[in-house]
Amino acid sequence: MERPIFKPIGTAEEALDTPSLVVDISGLNQNIETMHSFFRSRPVGLRPHVSGHGSSAIAHMQIAAGGTVGGIMTATLGQAEVFAATGFDDIFLANLVTAPSKISRLCSLARRVNMTVAADSADNVSDLGEASVEAGVTLNVVVDINTRRDSTGVAPGRPALELANAIEGEEGLHFAGLMTYEGTIRADGDELVSESKKCIQQVLDTREKVEKAGLDVEILSVGGTHNYEIAGDMDGVTEVAAGSYALMDEAYRPYRPQFVNAARIMSCVTSMPQAGNVITDAGRKAIGGDSGNPGIPTVPGGEVRGLSAEHGGIDLDPSIDHGLSLGDRVWFVPNSIEGCVNLHDYMHVIRNGKLDAVWELPARGRYR
Amino acid sequence: MDYYRPVPGTQVEDLETPCLLVDLDAVEHNFRVVADTYRDTECKMRQHTKNIKSPRLAKMQIEAGGTVGGVCTAKLSEAEVMVEGGVTDILIPNQVVHKDKIARMCALARCADMKVSVDNMQNVQDLSDIADAYGVKIGVLIEVDTQMGRAGVRSNEQGVAIAKLAESLPGVDFKGVMSHQSLMEYKGEKDRYEVGRQTIQICLDVKNAIEAEGIAVEMVSSGETFTIDVAATIPGVTEVEGGTYALGGTNYDYMEDYQMANKVMGTVISTPRSGVAIGDAGLFALSGLGADSVEGHLDITVVEMLDHQIVLKSDGEMPLKVGDKFMLIPAYQDMMINRWDQYIGIRDGAVEQVWDIPGRGCTQ
Repeated sequence: MERPIFKPIGTAEEALDTPSLVVDISGLNQNIETMHSFFRSRPVGLRPHVSGHGSSAIAHMQIAAGGTVGGIMTATLGQAEVFAATGFDDIFLANLVTAPSKISRLCSLARRVNMTVAADSADNVSDLGEASVEAGVTLNVVVDINTRRDSTGVAPGRPALELANAIEGEEGLHFAGLMTYEGTIRADGDELVSESKKCIQQVLDTREKVEKAGLDVEILSVGGTHNYEIAGDMDGVTEVAAGSYALMDEAYRPYRPQFVNAARIMSCVTSMPQAGNVITDAGRKAIGGDSGNPGIPTVPGGEVRGLSAEHGGIDLDPSIDHGLSLGDRVWFVPNSIEGCVNLHDYMHVIRNGKLDAVWELPARGRYR
Repeated sequence: MDYYRPVPGTQVEDLETPCLLVDLDAVEHNFRVVADTYRDTECKMRQHTKNIKSPRLAKMQIEAGGTVGGVCTAKLSEAEVMVEGGVTDILIPNQVVHKDKIARMCALARCADMKVSVDNMQNVQDLSDIADAYGVKIGVLIEVDTQMGRAGVRSNEQGVAIAKLAESLPGVDFKGVMSHQSLMEYKGEKDRYEVGRQTIQICLDVKNAIEAEGIAVEMVSSGETFTIDVAATIPGVTEVEGGTYALGGTNYDYMEDYQMANKVMGTVISTPRSGVAIGDAGLFALSGLGADSVEGHLDITVVEMLDHQIVLKSDGEMPLKVGDKFMLIPAYQDMMINRWDQYIGIRDGAVEQVWDIPGRGCTQ
């Protein structure tokens, strides 16, 4: 577990230990307002995805900001358990639960909170149905439709309808609707629109089929931070699950200029071995590196040469006076915010340049 | 943080997934290989704890033999974990710069033999000032850049200047030199030996230049798992900082004497299309994988990793069914274990030990 040197509330950000995950509260509030204001005025609801921050404090802020469906989305059962214990009573687990011990955990959760889970096979639906009856609970089950990502999911149309019927046919289950995870579409303009609509339309067409067969589609979950304004304006979509917008990251930055980078990893310059070369104490284990390099917008003329596990290497333009010395702070914008928060136990919340709160991230590492 | 500590005796197939398994026979074997390799050599192993993040595993190697009796830790917080776990000979082959961190290191120096790497005169001065005020001594080794273009002195002259300064100051003890190499692309043994010797020689050149000034050089700490065999054959190298050898990774399949000890076990959660299986161990748990990472299944390829799912494709019919378990061999071993809170130690197909990973997240 991380063990930063303790600093009291009110400490200047630069005096905090490094590397640390620092979150600017005004940027976070701004992003929440930008996203939620889109949804407040519309019948479609936002469902905040907790993977984008891992924090109960932020998830509560998101629900309080309005424009939501009143619940959250998680990627794993373990995350759902953590958030169920911290005041969230509507949780959509956008993943499959197939192992018997996990189904048992899911049913226990369903005793205390309104649980929705995804399914993509009749066998799984049958197992869920049996377990929920035995546990005396009702599980809401959404059909997971594959439209682009080619991971889990049934094909749209008839296969989805068949599964919907199977769910409705189980006494302990309630057919709650349809979803797709189209994956993060990193594109803009026409390409983003056409790629998004191509995926979402398949789910909408499936909706029509399912409704014609006499089933209600309460939930139609599509989209994310990458295309919420497109998904949110398509008739028949009931919710958009977005996570990254709250804190944002480097990969999203060029595509979603309406959001600011509220989360960064603060790092220390630990070596300046040659002119134009700066080494910092934040590498892949603090910033993340599975998906690409971070950004360093506060270092003019600086470029991330690469990250090792525990070091960041920065190339500096020799013609610019960057004014960096040993011991100075450098802030990295992580390439993937989800990947980054998965590495941390604490979030240091900064208000006007000072430590305002330390939020724990107990859902970290809950892959199970 | 997870709290998955299954009772000893639990069969592997009954474990919840994903979970991080350690094959105890394999890790004990690896520790014995090091003990045998370094029994009669002048050069000894100083195991790098970034690859284990557990004092229990560090002690197992020390008890097996072949070591200097201490470890390397990547960062100060990782050193704290080791000291609290009873391992008190520490080298941080990295720079500790900020005054708060130096103070923290001095606190550790009251109950441990702390050594750190330096490449900057002001840093040495700061270490001296603070350590002297605390009434402790911090050992300093000069980091030499031999290949990576990262931290470290770039010339013999720089090294000599820092050694002279360290010798003249209270609070710091000049110990020697240190270097780290990244030779992953040199897979062939001949290449590794050649390039390994060339790069480590750069470190030895600084040592020689310092000795020529009449300053004794006690420690030459170099190498890593890439040169775990090479470094021990180079006269003058006193310790090797091997890490990945303990638990293993697919990038190191040239290491035939050693066995793969750490694996992430996953379960198939869906077979949505012909020839495809989806598992529950994703990118966040693994930190990336090579295509051939499913143990015992050369017929299965890792096509893609999502955050919490893995997409597997088979050459013909998918042999894995929903509910089947599979083992993934990590590629970036120390990156992978830094995602986990517990090791589940397995022997003869059942849980024998469950160890916490207290060094997880200790990048401070």
